[in-house]
Amino acid sequence: MTSWPIRAAIATVALVLMMTVTGAAGPQTTLEFWTISLQPFFTDYVNRMISDYQRANPGVQIKWVDVQMQAIEQKLLAAIAGGVPPDVVNLNVEFTVRIAEKGALLDLDAAVPAAERAKYFDGLWAGGRFRGRSYGIPWYIAPPVLFFNSDLFKKAGLDALNPPESEDEMIEAARLIKDRTKDYGFMPLIDGTRLMHRFRENGLPMLSEDGKRAVFNSPAHVAYLERYVDLFKKDYFPDDTLRRGFTGAVERYSAGQLGMLLVGPQFLLRIKESNPEIYAKTFVAPYPMGRGKVIHAGLMALTVPRASKHQQEAVKFALYVTNDENQLEFAKLPGTVIFPSTKKAAADPFFKQKGAGPEWKARSIAADELKFGRDLTVVVSNQSELYKIFREAVESAFFGKMSPKEALDWAVREWNARL
Amino acid sequence: MKRRTTLIAYLFLLPALSLLAVFTFYPVLFGTVLSLFEYDIINPPRYVGLGQFQKLLGDRYFWIALTNSAKYVLVVPVIQLCSILLAVLVNRRLRAIGLFRAAYYIPVITSWPVVGIMWTWMYDQQGVVNWVLRSLAVIDRPISWLSHPTLTLYAVMFVTLWKGLGWYMVIYLAGLQSIPTEYEEAAMIDGASRARVFWHITVPLLRPYVLLASLVSTMAAVKVFEEIYVMTRGGPFFSTYTMFMYIFDEAFQELNMGYAAALAMVLAAVILVFSVINFRFFRRGGLEYY
Repeated sequence: MTSWPIRAAIATVALVLMMTVTGAAGPQTTLEFWTISLQPFFTDYVNRMISDYQRANPGVQIKWVDVQMQAIEQKLLAAIAGGVPPDVVNLNVEFTVRIAEKGALLDLDAAVPAAERAKYFDGLWAGGRFRGRSYGIPWYIAPPVLFFNSDLFKKAGLDALNPPESEDEMIEAARLIKDRTKDYGFMPLIDGTRLMHRFRENGLPMLSEDGKRAVFNSPAHVAYLERYVDLFKKDYFPDDTLRRGFTGAVERYSAGQLGMLLVGPQFLLRIKESNPEIYAKTFVAPYPMGRGKVIHAGLMALTVPRASKHQQEAVKFALYVTNDENQLEFAKLPGTVIFPSTKKAAADPFFKQKGAGPEWKARSIAADELKFGRDLTVVVSNQSELYKIFREAVESAFFGKMSPKEALDWAVREWNARL
Repeated sequence: MKRRTTLIAYLFLLPALSLLAVFTFYPVLFGTVLSLFEYDIINPPRYVGLGQFQKLLGDRYFWIALTNSAKYVLVVPVIQLCSILLAVLVNRRLRAIGLFRAAYYIPVITSWPVVGIMWTWMYDQQGVVNWVLRSLAVIDRPISWLSHPTLTLYAVMFVTLWKGLGWYMVIYLAGLQSIPTEYEEAAMIDGASRARVFWHITVPLLRPYVLLASLVSTMAAVKVFEEIYVMTRGGPFFSTYTMFMYIFDEAFQELNMGYAAALAMVLAAVILVFSVINFRFFRRGGLEYY
């Protein structure tokens, strides 16, 4: 006959063992979550968000993988092809459309209930739409602002307190900076397909209303391109603008060799890291808008590959990442200047607060710009091929192989043959 | 006994053959079959016969890429000539000659991303190349070497030359050291000048090495990719858009795996043609020939 304490001890051990076994045998789902370039600045934020989710959803494990922007598309395709797809993937609109075209993404209009969809800005929810269906849950957006080097402005005789307010004024300021300081005034974002955004920002459409014809060879389109070709020939922006785009612009600006920089406000962090001296001379102003009174603001979205084995759980997690609380916390992180895609979070008084330093200024400017912000990515089938043709046409015009009119006429013909 | 020896020989060959089977024969076979299909990784492949090959005849980017790859072969004679001269130069009994040989070999062992980024900086408008040329009054305003529709291809070719020189130099150095000194000495005694000895004794005896080096460098030139990818991505204005760059784009950007395989088949044929030409030119020569 065993004594009472011994029996109690045996019973406790058995109970603990049973509980452990039951716990281990419970359903375990591991979701793989891919983000674009959030490490190392946002590692703590994402980890905290994940552990909160895991605590609230026992049985779900999140495996977070951060991927560089340049690599994400290829990595995703390789993972899908290899039968090991991630479950939730952060993509921009261009990539979302390209991968959705292959039928590899989950239709989120069908997977997300209407009540949930209504929480996001309609325009942003429609951002990831291809052939009438949405493939991305909008996450965050950052309308670009104008950074300028107050030192170079002063040297060029420009008033740093009166920065250019329109595209015309910006071009004029760029001319003065180049003429008077020998440094370039700006590197316009017209490389590759970015000219499409500029056209649309100036109220010049790329496609007919039914989306079936290319229409970007009107006299107004030609005149717009001609203006930049002329500036290029007169050396008002550097030769490598077309090759290096905004990466080159950020580098040149950070080195103190560029008067103005048009980028998302989040780039302040990078300038601060690479050259605190230039950061100290940096002033922020609203994006000098074109005639269309609309600004191209790149949207980041969360997508779910169709090959995911846990689609329902993945959608649930994507909705959690983009919910009001999480987006607001993300936007409030020090040094961050991004905006939420949900209506409630965007209405938070935080975005109107004033503080010291260019980040605060950039935030309040960008908040004011949100009403003009839209993702102006041109959504077409056969996207890569059409974009390549457009790029070739634009470069032909800049390098004098064709006149701007001939180049745009040719590209329109090629597009129409494929649309 | 003989059977046993043969068996053992095959046994020794087995590891290398299995590696070749997995990493060469199978991909070649798979690629050939793939070129007859339309395949985008995500959806199942669809048989199209020779459709991909017909498509590439009317594809302007194919012709642009093929022309650029063919132009790139221009680097071959230059690199061969320079490396032979360099090999002759370092084939002397000088003090610390090993140091010079090592110095010329360093670019060969430096990885392409490092070389590419380094030369991108050097070619910059404010880079060292422009600075030197301006200091010497060769140019009056900086040239954007990697953003110029005509110059860029040659600028990248120069980097290929710079990086490859040491590799071919080593091949030629081995060749030079295998030539018995009696031949050259005999010619000298007969009153031949140094240049005559070089052109009529050294170069003909080096021919097998020229064949090897030219073959390897022609293949490398037609398949050029890394330097283009790191430095220009095929731009500006598609002036450095080579066949390999196009294959990469089609396969991994646009997911046209079948079309990329068809392009690769054409590239293989082009390499074959260049190899035959090389054999025709340099087949004769070498110590055993004379």
